[in-house]
Formats: sequence, C-alpha cells, structure tokens
Amino acid sequence: MIKCKTSKEIGGMGHSKKRKEDARFIQGKGNYVDDVKLPGMLYMDIVRSPYAYAKIKNIDASKALEIEGVVAVVTGKDLEKYGLHWMPTLMSDTQMVLPTDTVMYQAQEVAAVIATSRYIARDGKEAVRVEYEPMKPLMDPFKALDEEAPVLRVDQEGKTDNHIWHWEVGDKEKTDSVFDNADVVVKQQMHIPRIHVASIETCGCVASYNKVENHLTMYMTTQAPHAIRTVIALVAGHVGLTEEKIRVISPDIGGGFGGKVPVYPGYVIAIAVSFLTGAPIKWIEDRSENLQADSFARDYHITAEMAGTKDGKIQATRFKVLADHGYTDASANPSKFPTGLFSIGTGSYDYGASYMEADAVYTNKPPGGVAYRCSFRVTEAVHAIERVTDMFAKKVGKDPAQLRMENFIKKEDFPWASPTGWSYDSGDYHAGLQKAMDAIGYDDLRKEQIEMRKEGKKFLGIGISTFTEVVGAGPSKDFDILGIKMFDSAEIRVHPTGKAIARFGTKSQGQGHETTYAQIIAEELGIPMENIQIEEGDTDTAPYGLGTYASRSTPTAGAAAAMAARKLRDKAKKIAAHLMEVSEQDLEWEPGKFFVKGAPEKSKTIQEIVFAAYTNHPEGMEGGFEATHYYDPPNLTFPSGAYICVAEVDAETCDIKVRRFVAIDDCGNIINPMIVQGQVHGGLTQGIAPAMYEELIYDESGNILNGTFMDYLVPTAVESPSWETGHTITPAPHHPIGAKGVGESPTVGAPPAIVNAIVDAVSHLGIKHLEIPVTPFKLFKELQKVGYFDNNA
Amino acid sequence: MNTQIVKEFEIEQPIAEVWKNLADPAEIVVCVPGASITEKIDDKNYKGEVVTKFGPIKAAYAGDIEIVELDEENRKMVLKGRGLDSKGKGSADMIMNGTLTEEDGKTKVKFSMDITIIGMLAQFGSRLINDVSDQLLDQFVENFRAKLAGGSVDNTMNAGSMLGTVAKSIFGRKK
Repeated sequence: MIKCKTSKEIGGMGHSKKRKEDARFIQGKGNYVDDVKLPGMLYMDIVRSPYAYAKIKNIDASKALEIEGVVAVVTGKDLEKYGLHWMPTLMSDTQMVLPTDTVMYQAQEVAAVIATSRYIARDGKEAVRVEYEPMKPLMDPFKALDEEAPVLRVDQEGKTDNHIWHWEVGDKEKTDSVFDNADVVVKQQMHIPRIHVASIETCGCVASYNKVENHLTMYMTTQAPHAIRTVIALVAGHVGLTEEKIRVISPDIGGGFGGKVPVYPGYVIAIAVSFLTGAPIKWIEDRSENLQADSFARDYHITAEMAGTKDGKIQATRFKVLADHGYTDASANPSKFPTGLFSIGTGSYDYGASYMEADAVYTNKPPGGVAYRCSFRVTEAVHAIERVTDMFAKKVGKDPAQLRMENFIKKEDFPWASPTGWSYDSGDYHAGLQKAMDAIGYDDLRKEQIEMRKEGKKFLGIGISTFTEVVGAGPSKDFDILGIKMFDSAEIRVHPTGKAIARFGTKSQGQGHETTYAQIIAEELGIPMENIQIEEGDTDTAPYGLGTYASRSTPTAGAAAAMAARKLRDKAKKIAAHLMEVSEQDLEWEPGKFFVKGAPEKSKTIQEIVFAAYTNHPEGMEGGFEATHYYDPPNLTFPSGAYICVAEVDAETCDIKVRRFVAIDDCGNIINPMIVQGQVHGGLTQGIAPAMYEELIYDESGNILNGTFMDYLVPTAVESPSWETGHTITPAPHHPIGAKGVGESPTVGAPPAIVNAIVDAVSHLGIKHLEIPVTPFKLFKELQKVGYFDNNA
Repeated sequence: MNTQIVKEFEIEQPIAEVWKNLADPAEIVVCVPGASITEKIDDKNYKGEVVTKFGPIKAAYAGDIEIVELDEENRKMVLKGRGLDSKGKGSADMIMNGTLTEEDGKTKVKFSMDITIIGMLAQFGSRLINDVSDQLLDQFVENFRAKLAGGSVDNTMNAGSMLGTVAKSIFGRKK
C-alpha cells in the first residue's frame, strides 16, 4: 500500500485520482489539430514518390491546376527560391523539405497541392504527373558500407561513402582483456527491427500566417512546442519570421511516443505556403503517409557479447551496433548522444568492464529514428543485454532467475558507477525480481514446464527481463538539443480565492499531466487537486521547456512543479506568521495549513493565506501568489523493473500465446497509482508489439510491403494478455519528490521478457535465439532448421 | 517486389501453329487479360498498355515490349517488358522466357516470368500479386486455347470476378 500524506480531498501524491482530462476525451470533446478550423483556410495534400531512389525528370501540375478549387502546386524548385527546400534535422544533418532533383525513399514528399477542400486537394494530388528516372536503391545497411556502394548523399560536399558517424564508450582494452581470459563467452547477432509508433492520431498542422501583423500561429501535433518555435525562428529568421512573432500551439494530442518530436517536411511546407499566401493552411496526414514516411524507430543491428566465469559471474559485455538511419539522420536525440542513451546496456548487473561501439549509415529508407516510448535507444540496449544474459545463464547451466539474483547490483551499493559512465541513483533489484517470481509462482512453473514437455502438446516457456532504465533528460551539463539545455519548467499562479493555474514547458499526449501535475502541487501546497488547472502546449503562455518524451516530464517538469510550490509554501509561511502574529519558527505545516506548534487549534489554511497575499500581505513583501521554477536535474533517474512472461508454444502449429505476464515496476515514489498502471498497461502492449507483431518490411526495390494497418500488425485488446502489475518503491534520492518516471519502462522491458519466454519454451529442441518479431511462421522455420519436424512429422 | 511465376500447359495443336501465334505480339496480345498493343515500332519493339485492377487498386501500365530472342529453330523466345504506371505511381518490369516442345502432335508450352513491381501496387497489393498473376495467367492460357481452337476471345479484365477467384484460391488453400 502506498502511504498518502494528504487527505483524499486534497488528493496529493499516491491517490488514485481519476484523470481530469478524461471528461472531455470520453465525451468526444477533445480538441485536436484536425478540429482547428479557421476562416479562409486552405488544405494541403502531398504527392509522394513511388520510388525509393529516382531522379525527378519533370513535374507536370497542369492537369491538377485545371481542377476547380486547386489553388497551387508547390515543388522543391518553388521552395528553393526562398532557401526553404532543405532543413536541418535535430542531429545536425540535413533533410529535404521538397526535392529539387532526387527522391531518396519511397513515400518521400515530392510536391504539395493546395486546395479549397481536403477532397479537392486529394484529387489534385492524383492529377499531378511526375516523371521519374528510377535508380537502384540501397536498402541493406551492411552493403551500404561496401566500397563499391553508390554514395547516396551527393548533396554533402566531399562525401565519399554512406557512413554517418562512429560512436564508442567504455574501456576497450580492459574489456577485450576480460573477454580473452574469460571461462565463458556468449555472442549473438540480433536485429531490433524498424518499427513505427503508429499513434492513433497522425501528424498534422494548421499554419496561420498573418501578413499584417507578420505573425505566425502554428497549431501542430508536437511533443515539444517551445523547441519547435525556436527551430522555426532559426530556419525562417532570414525571411523575417523571428521568435517573438511565432506562436506554437500544441492542442490535445492522440499519442506521440516520440513520433511527434521531429519536424516533418509537411509542417515546413504548410508554413511556407501560409507565409506566401497569407491563408491558413491545414495539413493532416492519412494513415499510410504516417506509417510510410514519418520517422521510424529502432533499426539497430547489434552484435552482443557477454563474458563471465563458469559458475555464472558476469564479468564484461561488448556491443557492436550498425544503425540504419535511412537517407538522413533525423533522430530526435540529445545532441551529444548520437546513439541516445544506449550505453545503459550494461544492465542491472554488477561488473566492471564494458565496451560499446556504433556506426550509422545512410540507406534509401525513410529518415529517423525516433525514441519510440524510450529514452533514446534504451529499448535496443535492454533487449541486447537481457537476451545475452539469458544465453549466458543457459551456457553456464543456471536458472536465469538465479543467475540474475547472483549478479544484481546490491541495494546498498547505490549510487553505482557503471562501466559506461552512468551513476545509477537507486534501486532494489533483488526485491523486484523476488516479488515478480512470487506473483507468478516461478518454481511451480518450472515444474509444469517439465511436465508439459513430457506431454508434448504444448511447450511452456518462462522469460525474465530485469531492466534498468535511464530517464529524465537531462542535466544541462550533458544534455541539450541544438544547444538548448534540457531543463524544464513550471509556473504556478494561485488566485485570490485559493484556486490555481499552473503551466508547464512539457506537453501531454495522453500521459495525464492535467491530473498528475495537479497532484504534485496539491501535495506541496495542500490545495485540492480539483482546484488546480493545468495548462501546457501554448508557447505564448507556458514557460519554456523542451517538451514531453523519454519519460522526462515527471523527472524534470514534475520536479519544477514541486520546487515552485515549495517557493510558495515558504511565502505562505511568512504570511501565516504575519496573520497569526507569531514567528515563522513557531509554525508547523500539515497539508493545507500552518498551525502554531503546541496549539494546533491556532492555524491558517492555505486558502486564507493566499487570500491575504492579495488583501493583507505583510509590509515589504511582494503581493500576489505566484512562482516559477526552471528545474535542472542533478542526475538522470534510473527506474527499474522485473518482468516475467509465461508463453505457450503449440507443438504442432507453432502458435504462440502469452499466458501470463507479471510486471513489477520501480519508478520511485508514485504520484497516481492508477495512472501508473494505465501507463504500464499501454506500454506493455507496445512491448508485445515488436516482440511478436510489428516490423516495417522493405523489399530490395525499396517498396514498403506493409504500409497500411492491413499488413502492419498493431496489437489490440485481442492480442493483449491480462497484464498483472505491481511495484516496489525505491525513491530517487536527488529528486524533490523521489519520483523516477514510468512511461517507457514497460515498452523497454517487455520485449526481451517475451522473447526469452518463447526461446525458453523451445530451447530443449535446440533453439538458442529468435529474432523479433517472433511470429509462428518464423518459429516454424527455425524449428525446421533444427530438424524438429523431421522426427515429429 | 520481385516475384517469379512458372507455368506449364499443353495445347492440342501442332507446334508450328502454336509458335506462329505465340511469336507474334499482335496475335498474342489478344489473349493477355487487360492488354493491348498501341504501336508497332519495328519487328522487335512494340508499345503497349496493360490495365489491371484488383480491390481498390487500379493500375494502368504503359510501356515497351522488346522481343529479345526469337529462336524459331529451338522454339524459344525471350520477351522483355517495362511499364510505367500512367499516373506516376510506380512501374513494372517483366522478363518472360518461353519454350515449346512437341509431344505426340501436341504442344507443351513452358514459360517463366520474372516480375519486379515498384510503387503503389507493390505497397498495397503485395499479398495478392502472386495469386492475381496466377489467375491472369490461367485466364491467358484459356484465351490462348480458345483462340487456337478458333473461338472468340474476350480479354477485358473483370475486376470483380478476378478478386472473387483470387479470394477463392487464397481461402481454398487453407482447407
């Protein structure tokens, strides 16, 4: 049970309050970008390339322009006149807004049709004739590094290959030496496939430029409105659009998951066209455009190795990554981290040597990748470490749970310095795994597994993932995006009657900020959370912050809310002392009021104190009751989890069923248990997705073979097992409210648990590893390879 | 996407008669569902059109057909076709190898087609392309037989019936 410091009425931390925002969502009253309708608005649709790599010989818009209602067809040549045909990516690479001569991936933007209605814009798009001269695309990232491979980025002066960058971390010499002398080494190559966030709402915007005021209002699906405003100012400053003239409004968002962090060409085209015409331009992607052209996630080819003693002590890890970024590095990482926080991949285990390296390449695929519900490549890293940990356990002949227990970093050893440079803040890994094992009945399952193997109809597998996450980017000494430090902000205004509004630099896309932030402030100030209005997403009103992704909102803006509230509580104490004519030292706080020590009947409520701040404040004190805080975290937070999956494989059909899944999360102190549970449910479903269903598939001609939801399998309630959740609580010692963030933990932790379970189910048949997504067909093929059907036909 | 289709069938006609029909694009095109020759450039090069439709996707390819090899002695032919979608939504390439052999006065036709499809059709139709192509070929064989037997040939595409047959073949397999 979680102990709450506040009453249910105040509703501070630990209360399972229903989400305030749901009132509008469940009644269909949300306000999304596509709900924005402005007078004189025009609609944009985008012509896209059928080829993965082709020269554009000609674009003939004449037939489109004959259609009544088609206003304009915009091409790269048109944008070139204003220097807007290229834009920078967040990783300081460059990306075409519209091409002037070459298309680099299938579904790339080629031209934009502007019309008086959405339907006419689509008709216009169908009527634009583009003549291409197809070239042979480069689809295989390994072949992209061949010397004879054609150089894709000829736009980059002096570029002679398709290599983007090299990255490495850790002590290579030390690690190699441990490997050379180790009793046992396991090695596995694995692909973390290209997937898509596939949020229910696609991307879109309404760009509204007012020529008279020289002012742009940009309604858009963005997780980081302030950063976008700055980027627009940096890109469009030369045409006179400076930052004070730009207002970015991010209304309700139907899922972001990292996919709504990047700037997509559609946004820029809409701004450019609105700037030139003075009319508001609406652009909303359809499902296939979203799936085919917007930033992908993952696509890491990893060779993972683990070295250890024959009695099962882990001694070192070594990871080598090939990252396929498509035709440009459009990742949404902090600038100094080309592989994001991949170096968390040493895992939850106590050892001192690790070396990781990565190389990134260009191919003719859509650019990316985004941090899909993940602190920048943590999912890839966790998959690698948790898979090789299982393989290592198998090799030394130990139960995977036992091996983990023996190798975990001990609770008393925190803060713990990882061999790749992190300082893990806190954790109790043993307690988490024990709780998960008790919940699922681990020992009984092992017995059942043996029984079922004897029976031979179905094979049972038990898979564990005990992951350490790294979230809350981030401390400004290391973390920035295009130079802007990654702190975040909160501003609290309490009105004379004791009700408040608070604004943040983050932006909820379904996380429930309107509820959780109110609970943090309620915890600190004792004002009922129902009386605290939360606002985000309007750059004209909210304080500056870098937005919501990578589970950073609670670690950064949530901390800022607590800090700003504490500033106000200090002020309240002064006012209370003034009102009760006692000294500050004689006052004590309990949620909602200050009372005199030893005389609890003598007290002032926070509401009385706030009213006094407007009506009767002490002489020399500033009036009003407002505070702002910009929180620069001293460290990242390190949530952890122990997940156990029980899977059943049909011995005849290879059908795979997740029978049970227990997730024990440790996200530090919990703000709202119900919201945490909801986050974990959603995240686990997005974890089963890449483990068993999702993968963007391209053929050698560059075609995407599953560019619709007919073929790209997003799991629904039907595929989801009944998730069993629980928690341990190890507060973050450096965080004002001891919270760590939870949004991404389940997405990161679930895939290896599921795959470990499936591999475990068939390991006795000779299967050592399975690539995700593990489909029945893939499993069938692998079993065929090991000769399973030869004896069981 | 690449796909290969190999087909063998028998026609109860002498090999010379079959060859005559098969080797002349103007004769053969009548039998290809949805196809027509729009221009003859020379004896080896033609311009043509194929209209195909399944489900929501209608593709009209306009392109060139080249007779790469026409070996009457060995009864062997190689055709190369390259078509661009008329709306700029992609392209299709095909190489067809055909051989005829005679057995007891009947002719055995054996051919293979390597097809590469790029663009919209590949994206949306990849699940169906093999089945549809197979059905189209069956229809072609039927037409070809009918033509040689002196019957009339209707080579217009019927999208509805095509989709129906494909559906039957897909679901039929599962039994």
